[in-house]
Amino acid sequence: MSKFSSVNKELIEILNNEYISALNDFNMDNWLACFSQQGQYILTAEENIRRNLPVAFMLDDCYARLKDRVKQVMEIQYDSSEHYQMRHFTQLISATESENGVIETKFNFSVYYTPRDTHQTETLCVGKYEDSIVIEKGEALFQKRVAIVDTNVLPRYVVYPV
Amino acid sequence: MSTKNNSTPSLDWPAKTNHVPKEVFEMEGLWEEELKNIFYGEEWHPIVHRAEIPNPGDYKAAQLGEINVFAVHGDDGEIRVFQNTCTHRGTSLVTESSGNKKELECPYHRWLFNLEGDLVGCPGDREFSPDFDKKDYGLLKLRVEAFYGLYFATMSDKTPPLKEYFGESFYEPLQRLLGGDGRLNLIGYQKVIYDCNWKAYCDNDGYHGALLHKAFAMLNWQGGQGTQIVTKNGHLCFDSELTMPDHVDALEDGSILDFKGTETSNGSIVLMSFPITVYTKHMDMLNIRYSFPKGPKGVEVHYAYFSHQDDDDEMVRHRIRQSSNLLGPCGLISMEDASVFSRIDKGNRTQGDAIFQKGVKDEYAIPLEVGQTDETGNLARWERYRELMGFERRAK
Ligand code: FES
Ligand SMILES: [Fe+2]
Repeated sequence: MSKFSSVNKELIEILNNEYISALNDFNMDNWLACFSQQGQYILTAEENIRRNLPVAFMLDDCYARLKDRVKQVMEIQYDSSEHYQMRHFTQLISATESENGVIETKFNFSVYYTPRDTHQTETLCVGKYEDSIVIEKGEALFQKRVAIVDTNVLPRYVVYPV
Repeated sequence: MSTKNNSTPSLDWPAKTNHVPKEVFEMEGLWEEELKNIFYGEEWHPIVHRAEIPNPGDYKAAQLGEINVFAVHGDDGEIRVFQNTCTHRGTSLVTESSGNKKELECPYHRWLFNLEGDLVGCPGDREFSPDFDKKDYGLLKLRVEAFYGLYFATMSDKTPPLKEYFGESFYEPLQRLLGGDGRLNLIGYQKVIYDCNWKAYCDNDGYHGALLHKAFAMLNWQGGQGTQIVTKNGHLCFDSELTMPDHVDALEDGSILDFKGTETSNGSIVLMSFPITVYTKHMDMLNIRYSFPKGPKGVEVHYAYFSHQDDDDEMVRHRIRQSSNLLGPCGLISMEDASVFSRIDKGNRTQGDAIFQKGVKDEYAIPLEVGQTDETGNLARWERYRELMGFERRAK
């Protein structure tokens, strides 16, 4: 079976591009806008997934949590964080539609970061996204985006979602 | 900086106990001395909780100073800690951070060790040296003591027994933090490297809480009654009641801050054992932070989170949500600490002393009775560090 069975790849790519642009442009409202009202976001380590351990780095398991994530980044911790520029590179690996119309996608990602003091670019993490995407009013939205990092030991504290 | 006997670094330590020379975070050559005098000295270091390696054959790799070690759950149910090296020519035996093995076979010349560390096979041993005896070639075992399932290792025979080393003011809250009976389940890890010297990482204080962490103020959190107890050998214990606001307006999903509190605790416990480990029981999170200095620069922290075996599904789910969102390198109430570690490190590449103020009553004493929101709880640790490193305090 094709890894891209009859799904609208273009809508998926547009959503993913909006997602990474939101993060790379520090626009947390646009990040939130990538999720449906049932949206969830999880950032976790490959080790936790492999060992069936449910704790994550970030676990926003409902839309209210996603909104609180925006508040955490933009208000609560804004002035104590050392901010950095992120740059995402992603690659669509598969997209398949399940019976209930939800599209399951996988992307590889690598994310670089450039701190605003040293201006030296380093790798923040490498991993994969496992997504559930719904099409609402002709627009693709994440019902769930799970970022699983191979980088089980992150090189710094992490201010923003990946 | 000056040097005494050959190249052992020496530091001119201020007379006032609330002054710490910033050089101590940066000076070259200190790390080697710290390894010798502290990490390989008379201290207990937590390596693993039984919940992390619950079955025979389960192992977990760690470091003690710069020595690679691993803890393994034996077929006899005992947990042992070995140096990660074959007793033949030194090949490392476990190459992954965790896993399960039936036995420990070295791939180089196929020496075989059982999970208890005995050498049970070595091809061609009829041609070995005349006095070769398998019994002399068991894995290098560290001295270990367990406390409610948490295994501590030490490099020294002279380290006092665990309870004596910690004292009741430390081990009693540690018992509560370990769920009262140590019957825990592992629910996950968060691992990260902080960009600071290890001593900046463990210098977090009681003063900053409500000031650095805006979440506390926004959520209208009142600290609750509590104590900060310091031991002479530099361990620290914060034990406070946790009074949670009835209603959390600042968050859309206030349930993340529910305090169900089923186990034996007032609320919040933060422990710091010399030289570097932090343990917390904050709201319903049970957390041990195994910490590994990466030499003089950087410290790798493994936040391990636990649930209790008696928890119902709802409680486990709640602990998972809190553990994933409040503490650790991205947490709502702890990411700022990480930021400060890194900024302290950069800020200490300047001249002068780092100065403690809140709670100082006598600038020439080491206080062991400390208020809950004082920063003087750190001074006993600095004093112990200074003594172990052999730095002379300047005359008054
Ligand atoms: S080094 Fe391990 S068997 Fe030779
Ligand atoms: Fe803090």
